[in-house]
Amino acid sequence: MPCPKTEYLIQEYFADDLAPVAREEIEVHFNSCEYCSNELEVLLRSQSDLSQWQDQQVPHWDRGMELFRREHSVINEGRGFWSGWQWISTAVSLAMLAVLLLNVNVVSNEEGFSISFDALGAQNAYLDARMLAFEQGQKEAMDALVQRIEDSQEGNNIELLQVVMEQAQQTTIENLEVIYAYFERQRLQDLEDMRVGYQELVDNDFATIRSLQQIAQFISYQGEIR
Amino acid sequence: MSLIDEDQELVAAAINGSANAWEKLVKRYEGKIYNQGLRLMGNSSDAMDLTQEVFLGLYRNLHRFRGDAKFSTWIFRIAHNKAIDLSRRNRFLPSRTQIEMQEEIDALEAVHGASSFEPEKAIGELQQNNQIARILGKLSIEQRLVVELKVFQSLTFEEIAIMQDVSANTVKTRFYAALKKLKAVSEEYYALP
Ligand SMILES: [Zn+2]
Repeated sequence: MPCPKTEYLIQEYFADDLAPVAREEIEVHFNSCEYCSNELEVLLRSQSDLSQWQDQQVPHWDRGMELFRREHSVINEGRGFWSGWQWISTAVSLAMLAVLLLNVNVVSNEEGFSISFDALGAQNAYLDARMLAFEQGQKEAMDALVQRIEDSQEGNNIELLQVVMEQAQQTTIENLEVIYAYFERQRLQDLEDMRVGYQELVDNDFATIRSLQQIAQFISYQGEIR
Repeated sequence: MSLIDEDQELVAAAINGSANAWEKLVKRYEGKIYNQGLRLMGNSSDAMDLTQEVFLGLYRNLHRFRGDAKFSTWIFRIAHNKAIDLSRRNRFLPSRTQIEMQEEIDALEAVHGASSFEPEKAIGELQQNNQIARILGKLSIEQRLVVELKVFQSLTFEEIAIMQDVSANTVKTRFYAALKKLKAVSEEYYALP
């Protein structure tokens, strides 16, 4: 027959911080009360069924590494991919573009500097050509970069396929892990290539801008002697 | 050096920007969190969501970790809270356990070759785990969490009470009710033809 103490006693029984004396008392009751001992047995079985759990392997994931590297690259390298440097060239480009499009003349004479917006005739054709060349150069550099990334991706995929074919002979969970790791490494390598490529592009911009600066100086010099 | 000290050193190094330390820290706990997720959420995609959210939460709060508590306690607390969030979000979605189990078995069978890999053993384990997850799925999330913390994480009722912000007696009652429910559910299972 049901026992009024079951619930309380079993709850206490599962507490780890139960005083030894109290535990002894509970066990004395369980030994004499069939209802309580049956109930305890069934619940202990439920609990031990749960501990049949076999830990499963975690599927491959990036472990937050990309986020971590991205957010710490500025501190580590001083000049990470997303640090301020690259924007300098863009800012200079914009300023130069304004100078070119508006045909601004910076003329220095005895009264100081003067800025004028009049067309410079002969120089305009030359500047247009330079602008075109500048744009063309930008486009070519970008296309080359994209091509390089695509090529390396393709190369990786072929290589990856070979690895997968080899591994397929003896596929185990470990091997899959190796393939994943390999793929992840390739992906990071591609990112690094992209970064280097972009840096080169930025450096090219600097070279172009320096030559544009020389033109601007030339223009203002022309304006001065006129 | 003890595991606890190592955890603290890894946290400090990760805060200072060591990607290596961060990866070690993740590797050390991802298995525990993922398996906890499987038991609490009942399927691998939700378990993976939980794992990612736990480590993202950990990453965002790494600088708040103080050495006065065990790192493991801290991360399990984050996991506990994320599991509640996630299960509330998923409340109206159908359980995916059944479908996923078949998919996983298919995947295992596709993978198995003439190798040291024992597909039957793996499938057996998977079925057993799925059975456990399915039975746990019949509990409320509060009961499931008490079972998880008591049986799998070996926390005391007092520790669980602090984590869940309830009294130790409430935890004891929940645990007892959970075991009774588990018993009833498994009887129902085995009674089926
Ligand atoms: Zn009794």
